[in-house]
Amino acid sequence: MSAEPPLLLMRGIVKQFPGVRALDGVDLEVRRGEVHCLLGQNGAGKSTLIKILSGAHQPDEGVIALGGEEVRLTGPTAAIRLGISTIYQELDLVDGLSVAENVFLGHERARLGFVRQGEANRATRDLLTRLGHPEIRPSTEVGRLSPAAKQVVSMARALSHDTRLIIMDEPSAALAHDEVANLFRIVRELTSRGVAVVYISHRLEEIREIGDRVTVLKDGRTAAVGLPAKSTPTSEIVSLMTGRTVEYVFPPRRPRPATGSEVLRVTGLTVPGVVEDVSFTIGAGEIVGLAGLVGSGRSEIIEAVYGARRASGEVVLEGRPMGRGRTAGRGGTAAAVRLGMGLAPEERKAQALLLDQSVAHNITLAGLGRYSRFGWLDRRRESAEARELVETLDIRPGDPDRPIKTLSGGNQQKAVLARWLVGERRLLLLDEPTRGVDVGARAELYAVIRRLADEGIGVLLVSSEVPEVLGLADRVLVVREGRIIHRADAQDLDEHRVLDMIMEGSAL
Amino acid sequence: MTVAADERLAGTGLVRRLLIRPELGAVVGAVVVFAFFASRSETFRSVAGVANWLDPASTLGIMAVAIALLMIGGEFDLSAGVLTGTTGLITVILATRYGFAIPVAMLAALAAALLVGFLNGLIVVRTGLPSFIVTLGTFLMLQGINLGVTKALTGTVQVGGLRRAEGYEQARAALAGTVSLGGADFRVAILWWLGVTALATWVLMRTRAGNWIFAVGGDERAARAVGVPAGRTKIALFMTTAGAAWLVGSILALRFTSVQANAGLGQEFVYIIAAVIGGCLLTGGYGSAVGASIGAVIFGMADKGIVFAGWDADWFTFFLGAMLLLATLANRLVRRYAEEVRH
Repeated sequence: MSAEPPLLLMRGIVKQFPGVRALDGVDLEVRRGEVHCLLGQNGAGKSTLIKILSGAHQPDEGVIALGGEEVRLTGPTAAIRLGISTIYQELDLVDGLSVAENVFLGHERARLGFVRQGEANRATRDLLTRLGHPEIRPSTEVGRLSPAAKQVVSMARALSHDTRLIIMDEPSAALAHDEVANLFRIVRELTSRGVAVVYISHRLEEIREIGDRVTVLKDGRTAAVGLPAKSTPTSEIVSLMTGRTVEYVFPPRRPRPATGSEVLRVTGLTVPGVVEDVSFTIGAGEIVGLAGLVGSGRSEIIEAVYGARRASGEVVLEGRPMGRGRTAGRGGTAAAVRLGMGLAPEERKAQALLLDQSVAHNITLAGLGRYSRFGWLDRRRESAEARELVETLDIRPGDPDRPIKTLSGGNQQKAVLARWLVGERRLLLLDEPTRGVDVGARAELYAVIRRLADEGIGVLLVSSEVPEVLGLADRVLVVREGRIIHRADAQDLDEHRVLDMIMEGSAL
Repeated sequence: MTVAADERLAGTGLVRRLLIRPELGAVVGAVVVFAFFASRSETFRSVAGVANWLDPASTLGIMAVAIALLMIGGEFDLSAGVLTGTTGLITVILATRYGFAIPVAMLAALAAALLVGFLNGLIVVRTGLPSFIVTLGTFLMLQGINLGVTKALTGTVQVGGLRRAEGYEQARAALAGTVSLGGADFRVAILWWLGVTALATWVLMRTRAGNWIFAVGGDERAARAVGVPAGRTKIALFMTTAGAAWLVGSILALRFTSVQANAGLGQEFVYIIAAVIGGCLLTGGYGSAVGASIGAVIFGMADKGIVFAGWDADWFTFFLGAMLLLATLANRLVRRYAEEVRH
């Protein structure tokens, strides 16, 4: 190593959240002018590390040094002042302000409090031209821009500071192919000036093309530091990312009768631009897993099946075709529920739970029609049924009258599942059912899901965690860029191969 | 290299740029209301008539503009109406009972108002409680103070006699006098209102403070992430609203030379309604000062126009409700149209 200290040095970073040790001693070293890639599966600790670097979180332990000097990143402003800019995946732009106003927000070009708008517009135009997008006008309201253009604006904002280090969190996720080329051109221009880029992406081919070195995170620890990005074999990278230190216990699969009836048949499902000609079936008692990256179209497939998203193609539930071009509300989701579908959405707290209400109320919510007679709710029957489900699913603490927000993530998720056991369910759609559920509670949740399947319900499961899909599902569909690129029995696949496929698209 | 944004950026025509202005609904509403009453009453469209309906618009307009700034910043202030009464009461009581010169009494009232605004802001920023609740609390407390103190001092529910206080004539000329124009007497308050609107528009469009207001109201998290002093911006906005309440309270006290203990009560929603007619969103981050002013003009025209047209003034609130619905519906339709055009 040269005598010059690295631009950024992080040593032994630890960050603890209630119930989770998100980072457990992470090391990172970034040199001037390099593109340093950060790799790791979901939950490996990448986003926490970024948040610490951008000043949004403070580490519990560990040392951060910039240019050889130890620093404390006490807040976003402190990080920006030290020359660290972050471009988050969900871009931090204010829609109501113009492009130029967003670029200079918080450090306006002002004299006596008055913004020199002409100067800000000129400077913004220069930055946008440098970024290869002179056609974006500085005076346009940001809310009117396309996602790709918004990202360029975020980039311009990062450049408007005197930046030494830019963190890009999945910058290519929202971009079309030719726009990625432009992004890379910008990254190269930045690094040629000595700016360092911390680049986070799931796409290995991008890392090969743009990256200099790679740091791999696994379970909140650094699995490898500073591997050469171009020459490290894919198999080595993948094996560094896989092989969890925590082993999950998956319930045993039951051999299914070969003549099991079909619960769901999806034919030619297409959501323009996201999902392309997807067909599959789910049998009674079968768990089918969709493995794929965020943005691969797996959540959209679930939403389209549920009728919450406009799609073409055919969805047939137990021989009954669901309407075409269904949308939320208008016979879409309501019909789906009536005909026996149930959804446990990805954002449990935002989309599935009434946090202040009791466990019982959250469970019976979808089936209130069952307890009402002439508009009156039969509260006694409602709470009796809820109590029964709390016992069956072993929701703890076993008090149906507790506010649901006092329960752990795993038990909240059980309550969401319990909701769909009220009444006749034929098909359960589970989107990231174990997100935010701690490791110990996962096994219980897996057991519950398997038991539901054994009772004859079909289950469609989406998870970012490949081991979970492989361990829980009977059959696995690998999804990449909106298409099913591989299908196989879960027993015939291993984590290594699936990761290989969803990252490189090298099926077979 | 091109992005798909190309064409839609180039296609920003003049008509569309006008259509997406937040004040469009208010402008259309104002034109319709004016045409309606002008066709019913000759007095309404005369110079004297205009002077007459601009009068209520002016004091309401000053408040509506301040509330609009606050709403763009993502907050509400329900205490603003009663605060106009509080500041008026302080000025009159200090000037008539304790012998203060009116300018001194007014400065004391201003200090009190700014303190209330500061506390409103501080509580909202520090606790994260919704400003609707926090200022509802201050609103009720101020209402109690106004009534309690007035009764304790005078035994009645009003304080008066400001005419005899020192510096009355000059203060009245500056804040509550009239200016002759085209054979009619226009209230000086109209000039203050135009000044406040111009100042607020300038701040919103041309200063960093204006950027910050839109940013904290539009996306507070994003604003904080880039170093916008979100807390200070909000506190300043509450203090601005309180300052406007002081200005209006002083104008009204000088005009009537007396203040009722319940002055300003019920006005807080009128300010919000004017700001909403003027294009402000309840969710913050969007709106304009000019729009709020035009919202106030609609109020003024309806207030006086109903009398000019010879109708029962009891119908005023019905009219307002209809205006509110129509203007916000128009704003919404236009916004949706503007958003669809770009797809």
